[in-house]
Amino acid sequence: MTDPIITFDNVTYTYPGTDTPALDSISFSVLPGEYVAVLGLNGAGKTTLGLCVNGVVPTMLGGELEGTVTVAGLEVGEYAVREMAKIVGMVFDNPEFQMSQLSAAEEIAVGLENAGVPYEDMIRIIPETLALVGLAGFEERSPLGLSGGQQQRLAIAAVLAMSPQILIMDEPTSNLDPIGKQEVFDMAARLNKEKGMTVIVIEHEVEVMARYADRVIVLNEGKVVLNGTPQDIFSRVDELAALNLRVPESAALSTLLASKGLWKGETPTRTESAVDAVNTLLEARRG
Amino acid sequence: MQGALPVSLIPGDSVLHRVHPLPKMIWVVLYVVVAFMTQNIIVLYGMAVLALLLGVIGGVVKPLLKAAFIIVPIGSSLLALQLMAPAVEQPWTQIAQLGPITLYEDGLYYGLVLLGRIVACLLMALVVVMTTHPSDLFTTLAKLKVPYTLNFMMAMTLQLIPVFQREVGIILSAQKSRGMKGNGFQAVLPSFVPVFVGAIERVQQLSISLESRGFGSAGHKTSYRQVRGKASDWFLALLAIGVAALLGTVSILRGGWNISGLLVVEPATAVTVWVVSATVFLGIIALALILSFRKS
Amino acid sequence: MAKKSPLPTPAEARAASEHAIVVSDARYVYPNGKVVALNGVSVTVDHGELLGIIGQNGSGKTTLTKLLNGLLQPSSGTVVVNGIETTGRTVQEMSAHIGYVFQNPNHQLFARTVQAELEFGPTNIGIEGEELAERVARAVEFFGLKDVIDEHPYRVSFPIRKLVGIASIVTMEPSILILDEPSTGQDHQTTSIINNLMRKLAEQGTTVVCVSHDMPLLADVVERVIVMKDAQIIADASPREVFADKPLMARTNLQAPQITEIALQTVVPLGGPIALTPAELADDLGARLSSKG
Repeated sequence: MTDPIITFDNVTYTYPGTDTPALDSISFSVLPGEYVAVLGLNGAGKTTLGLCVNGVVPTMLGGELEGTVTVAGLEVGEYAVREMAKIVGMVFDNPEFQMSQLSAAEEIAVGLENAGVPYEDMIRIIPETLALVGLAGFEERSPLGLSGGQQQRLAIAAVLAMSPQILIMDEPTSNLDPIGKQEVFDMAARLNKEKGMTVIVIEHEVEVMARYADRVIVLNEGKVVLNGTPQDIFSRVDELAALNLRVPESAALSTLLASKGLWKGETPTRTESAVDAVNTLLEARRG
Repeated sequence: MQGALPVSLIPGDSVLHRVHPLPKMIWVVLYVVVAFMTQNIIVLYGMAVLALLLGVIGGVVKPLLKAAFIIVPIGSSLLALQLMAPAVEQPWTQIAQLGPITLYEDGLYYGLVLLGRIVACLLMALVVVMTTHPSDLFTTLAKLKVPYTLNFMMAMTLQLIPVFQREVGIILSAQKSRGMKGNGFQAVLPSFVPVFVGAIERVQQLSISLESRGFGSAGHKTSYRQVRGKASDWFLALLAIGVAALLGTVSILRGGWNISGLLVVEPATAVTVWVVSATVFLGIIALALILSFRKS
Repeated sequence: MAKKSPLPTPAEARAASEHAIVVSDARYVYPNGKVVALNGVSVTVDHGELLGIIGQNGSGKTTLTKLLNGLLQPSSGTVVVNGIETTGRTVQEMSAHIGYVFQNPNHQLFARTVQAELEFGPTNIGIEGEELAERVARAVEFFGLKDVIDEHPYRVSFPIRKLVGIASIVTMEPSILILDEPSTGQDHQTTSIINNLMRKLAEQGTTVVCVSHDMPLLADVVERVIVMKDAQIIADASPREVFADKPLMARTNLQAPQITEIALQTVVPLGGPIALTPAELADDLGARLSSKG
């Protein structure tokens, strides 16, 4: 039985100057190498959750945090964000707002410089990381001249350069066009499957999450209301509808057919499995 | 895209590009110091020519002259006004009379001094900016113990100028699309709020992103950008300091080293200079006014 | 440039014009002369239509919309909006006829209260007094802004701010409304609200043009979609037709909604519908699976 890499133990957090807690008695854990999707309406507490993992909450933003957050065996409140940055990398929803340097290489160097990584290592790590995110040769390019998808991949690179064990992405594709979205989701999937990185993605694109996630956590008004496999969570169409959340259309389809007594198997979480299942049903009728 | 500033690094690999930023920064400082210590127009325009030569060496002459175009309106207004009212102690020596307007010899000389100062310092500053990579500049400042955060903020401001130009453009389009009339300052004013809000949002998000990368925390920091100085760079710096010290001392000893006494100026010359400068200056103002009213 | 004759009111212009928008072979080349952003585009839109323009960044869709409200003037060809040719007209003149809601509401909003924002546009085009108050009241009702009317625009939540951004253009009561990426980055709840608003506006007679790069979003609300790529229109059809056109979808990097993908690979070859919603496909499958055998 592997130890979880992230544990939230009865965490309640209130932002400074507010009365309602942003997170309310949250408990869950994440195993190493898991791909976790976090869903919920805007304001449900998803971003706050992410910021608790790397310590920005409460160290940088203040406020009151009750309960414990443990990451890779370390209790987050006890360590500076700088230390956590070596374990947890976080990428945010606006690619341009994460850029601050005059070249892509320098953007990646920011984290490395602050971690005191020697120059000799930096000149090796930077090109490696750029290649990893598909931006090989982009060292001298100005970040502001890149497309949204490229900027977001650069933001991921800037974080990957520190070799974190956990990657958190907070609505990474909401400001991207379909090409950019594809690039980022493919990237996340590769990092998870090929490098065994623990990936937490906060998103609204449920079809993509259904395809890649090992686990789905649903937040509502600061509380964890659902926590399970995509199979499990996305078959609860009514519950999610009550929370004003979408289910993947494949799941909506199977649930509708099930209510007519026409669907027997699992809830399909991918287009392919839905197509196969439907075609099987159609053939069975014809045969 | 190194920012949409009219003045920025012109990529290149000239001798001048390869000089360490610090000597170059020292030259600019020395130029300013000497320029304001002397009133010798030979020295001043000599400095300007030297800066121009450096521009040639750096391969940036064309952009240099383009950026230096601002000297034309400044220079013409300066000469025209100084000829009419020299910024020196009275008594003034009259050199010509154009109807109600009196032109003074002192004004011609002093106008040239002021212009010379501006031209020399501007050209030198431009040459340095155009041949120095901003990041190297900031790395140098960091080595001079400028606080990391301050340095970083300056570097970021450079990055953000084109961004804000873009934002203001979008906001103006949005307001025009809501029927907002008028150009000029009154039109720009409503855009301040959205730009401000956008800037705040941006800085908030950026600071969380940077914090998450461990930015700005105490402790040893390394530097990715390495700036190497050669012996020749330091030699040049010392040479410059030496020459500057010499010129500066002589100028002080000679009370400014004003050589207007050695020059003979024909009245016709003064009049010509005045007419040309005044025309150029007024012409530019008229053009600016016409253009600003034409924009719908 | 000599000023042209004053424009008729939107209602007059609309009544006098056959179509809402007529673009004839419009070309746009950037001032530097190098980039052709729009390469000979022609399209006709009728009054009261609800359509979408879709394309990747760089496809020309933004240029086309800017030609519609006068932010850009065509290098050649003509753009006629509400019966008025845009050539030589200012954006301000056109703003009474065609409204443009920018993607980021922050780019529009600057007044002290939501009320002031709603009044800004109509005031600029000469609406005042009782007419102004009525228009604002209608918008407040339509968009559900009663609770925030006295709030500072930047104090309200972002989804409400988006609504205020749209409302502040709707109070100008233009005949045509362009919305730029109205739902990008929004959650499901806000997207539904905005989609409903667009439908209602079209029902009331406003021509609504929704620009987006999100196909599933558009499919939910428009009947007609114009697909752009490489500075040209490469398709002008219903969403279903576009989704069914495999080569077209591949060329444009567009993604059909998941349910449409499923339908295309299951019932469509059997003559079934190119479903846009799970309910649609479920109904068809329901019929097929229970009727046979």
